[in-house]
Amino acid sequence: MKFFGSGILNGLRITMRNMLRGPITVRYPHEKLVLPERARWALELKTDENGAHLCTACMACERACPDFIIRIEVTTGEDRSKHIDRWGYELGACMMCGLCVEACPFDAIKMGHDYELARRNVADLEYSLITDEPAAKPKRKAPAPAPAADTEEASDG
Amino acid sequence: MSPLLIVVLRVLAAVGLLLLNGVVLIYMLRKVLGRLHLRLGPTELGPAGMFQTMADVVKLLTKEDATPGSVDRVLYFLAPAIVFVPSLAAYAAIPFSNKIVAADLDMGLLFTFAILSLMPLGIFAAGWASYNKWSLLGSMRSIAQQVSYEVPLLLAALPPVMIAGSMNLGDIVRAQHGSVWFIIPCLPAFVFFLIAGLIESNQTPFDLSEAESELVAGFATEYSSMKFGLLFLSEFSNVFIFAALMVTLFLGGWSLPFVDPGLLAGIGAPIIFLVKTYLVIFVFMWIRGTLPRVRIDQLLAIGWKFLLPATLLWIVITGVAIKTGQGLFGGGS
Amino acid sequence: MTDPRHLAGHAGWLTPNPPHQVDFVPTSLTRAPTGVDTFDTERMVLNMGPQHPSTHGVLRLLIEMDGEEVVAAEAVAGYLHRGIEKLAEHRRYNAVGTLMDRGDYMSGIHNELAFALAAEKLMEVEVPRRAQWLRVLMSEINRIASHLVWYGTFGLDTGAMGQFLYAVRDREVLLDILEDVTGQRMMFNYVRPGGVVADITTSAVDKIQAFLATIDMYLDEHDALLGGNEIFQARTRGIGVLDKETATAFGLTGANLRASGLGFDVRRDRPYAAYDEMRFSVPVAEEGDCYARYLVRMGELRQAVAMVRQCIDGLPEGEHTAKVAKVLRPPAGEAYAAVESPRGELGVHLVSDGTEHPYRMRYRPPALYALQAAEAILPGTMIADVVVILGSVDVVLGEIDR
Repeated sequence: MKFFGSGILNGLRITMRNMLRGPITVRYPHEKLVLPERARWALELKTDENGAHLCTACMACERACPDFIIRIEVTTGEDRSKHIDRWGYELGACMMCGLCVEACPFDAIKMGHDYELARRNVADLEYSLITDEPAAKPKRKAPAPAPAADTEEASDG
Repeated sequence: MSPLLIVVLRVLAAVGLLLLNGVVLIYMLRKVLGRLHLRLGPTELGPAGMFQTMADVVKLLTKEDATPGSVDRVLYFLAPAIVFVPSLAAYAAIPFSNKIVAADLDMGLLFTFAILSLMPLGIFAAGWASYNKWSLLGSMRSIAQQVSYEVPLLLAALPPVMIAGSMNLGDIVRAQHGSVWFIIPCLPAFVFFLIAGLIESNQTPFDLSEAESELVAGFATEYSSMKFGLLFLSEFSNVFIFAALMVTLFLGGWSLPFVDPGLLAGIGAPIIFLVKTYLVIFVFMWIRGTLPRVRIDQLLAIGWKFLLPATLLWIVITGVAIKTGQGLFGGGS
Repeated sequence: MTDPRHLAGHAGWLTPNPPHQVDFVPTSLTRAPTGVDTFDTERMVLNMGPQHPSTHGVLRLLIEMDGEEVVAAEAVAGYLHRGIEKLAEHRRYNAVGTLMDRGDYMSGIHNELAFALAAEKLMEVEVPRRAQWLRVLMSEINRIASHLVWYGTFGLDTGAMGQFLYAVRDREVLLDILEDVTGQRMMFNYVRPGGVVADITTSAVDKIQAFLATIDMYLDEHDALLGGNEIFQARTRGIGVLDKETATAFGLTGANLRASGLGFDVRRDRPYAAYDEMRFSVPVAEEGDCYARYLVRMGELRQAVAMVRQCIDGLPEGEHTAKVAKVLRPPAGEAYAAVESPRGELGVHLVSDGTEHPYRMRYRPPALYALQAAEAILPGTMIADVVVILGSVDVVLGEIDR
């Protein structure tokens, strides 16, 4: 049956079939999808079982960030212990590439799953994830299993 | 109450109902297109989003009415009215039941077409006055398309008129009571009328005058607020009129086959009529959700090279059939 | 094409309006009867875009119209310029991928892959076989997603709305898969010099299997819905013909070239990643019109699905990345690597001076050449065809403007 118009009728048949399949809409604010494990959204700091931050203020993430949006202000005490004055994170400029998480040698940060990040004020996009807290003591164990190429900085050319 | 006041109130009630009809149609379009496209359509406001279009009308009414600087002011303000008034006036001759018809005209069909052919004037005025190139292109297309399709549209409506022997829309329906719906003897004419009707009412795949992927919004580009609302409502009103004409001419109007018309008197007939009309409108929307748009030269070629000869040929065939086989169609005179 | 003067509002490119006696009849103007040209008509300059609904982003087209007929057309690109090439000079090698994603945002994996291949050429790294296969898998999934968007927007350009939503339904599944594996839906940052960031997940494999179970039926539907439609065929057959000579002269690659009868495909002719192990054919059409481009892309969709199947079935065991340093310092030198992106040959030329940033990166966006070719064939068509031709060559402005 190849007469002129058969394609049009066939198209009508297909749209009707799709209509009968029913809508696929997820009514967003009322229902939400589960994010996959690796989904990358706003940066979050990890804590240990006591609720203390794991960040040692080693600055690896600050150096790794391509957009220079992580700013860790540290004062180093006389006993070379570090004190984090402010762990600045500029959400408005973050592109959630995850390079900071890959760079972290202590597995102290992660990309969170909170995607409702709209804010009413631009100023609210400036996060201070830590204010005025002593940095964690770096435990010189094997680097945590980051999802990336996780060899230590090698001495290639 | 003075008789004048009653008349005024009646007219206002009719206009209000017609506006409500337009609003319902817009809601239906959203829902039907949504479902066709695997979406839900409006859901939030009221049960199943029913009040969404009402809210949109309120929004349109309260929006700032921006008038671009270099428009032709008189025409710019007049155009939506010129478009809107015929689309309301055309309801007059359409019989919702044996009794419910605003103006029971002997030339009802002709009146409807005559009124509707005022619309391109308004659309052209809208496009011309807007001082916008997209609007101008859209209104030019609109003129070309509506002028080309007035003739095939009328010709496609003639076979039922020939069989029924009357131009009164009520008589045409009554002629279908006694025999079969005219879609059966006049199937080609029905298809031609469908195509021409889609074109005349600017529906996809022939919505060239506002082709959004080409002309942004066509003749309505520069309109905002309720002026846009009027243009938009009149489009839906047109769709309703063409669907109603189709039901009247080909699908038996308010009647049902094998049902005694006496049973349907009163409230039954208008409901049947509306249901039928809305089913036809659903088909229009179904087509709209499926087909791509034709190009303007192709559109005109369809009209002049195919539709016009085909409708003429079908009129000849109908005429010959009526004359040779008097009584072949029950309503033949 | 893009002359910066136009951005400053200079309109010197216009051919002057014809004087009283119209002596200009476009050679390609065949539809109008000749008598029409004796009217004293004026031409109209239309500014199509950058906010026009079907210029695929922020393309601006200046069109000189004679009625509905296009007399002259000029594309003005650059509204989405972000200086990706320059920005790359200040990024570490494994951070350039984030930039490349934002080039051709419809096919981020291919962009990242092109850069990674160039960097690997410089560093002479051996990439593990599993990583190669994962790259092919993700590339093809991304190709399907990109082609589905093209299919949908092409439907929108011709005036049909359903196609877009049906295509997006299928693409949604693919984006879910990509999010599952890479962490984001469009800006993946997944392919790095040396391999890929992470191995595929079991949930992603399940999703891919579910996708493969239905996609063939959906592709048949898509094909019947748009390509089988007589109106669509009337709109695309014989419209926007790019013959072999024009196509090669403009440096077209990808589906646009193959629709003109030249079967060049980087995947087959200069295989990268694991494409030398894949079994696939390269769809070619001869006509060079919009419908031929449609057919080629629909054929590519099916080939891509076949390749995803092969990848899922035959994914070799092994590491997902080679041992590379966290901060890459490739030896000084130059390298060029090209991939077959959904739009054509996407190349990255990389110059290294031995530091941790590239010295220079040149990005060859295939859509730029397609846009120039499309611009050249616009005169003589109608305004409705302009939209269709632009849609058929599949331009992505993020890539053109870089």
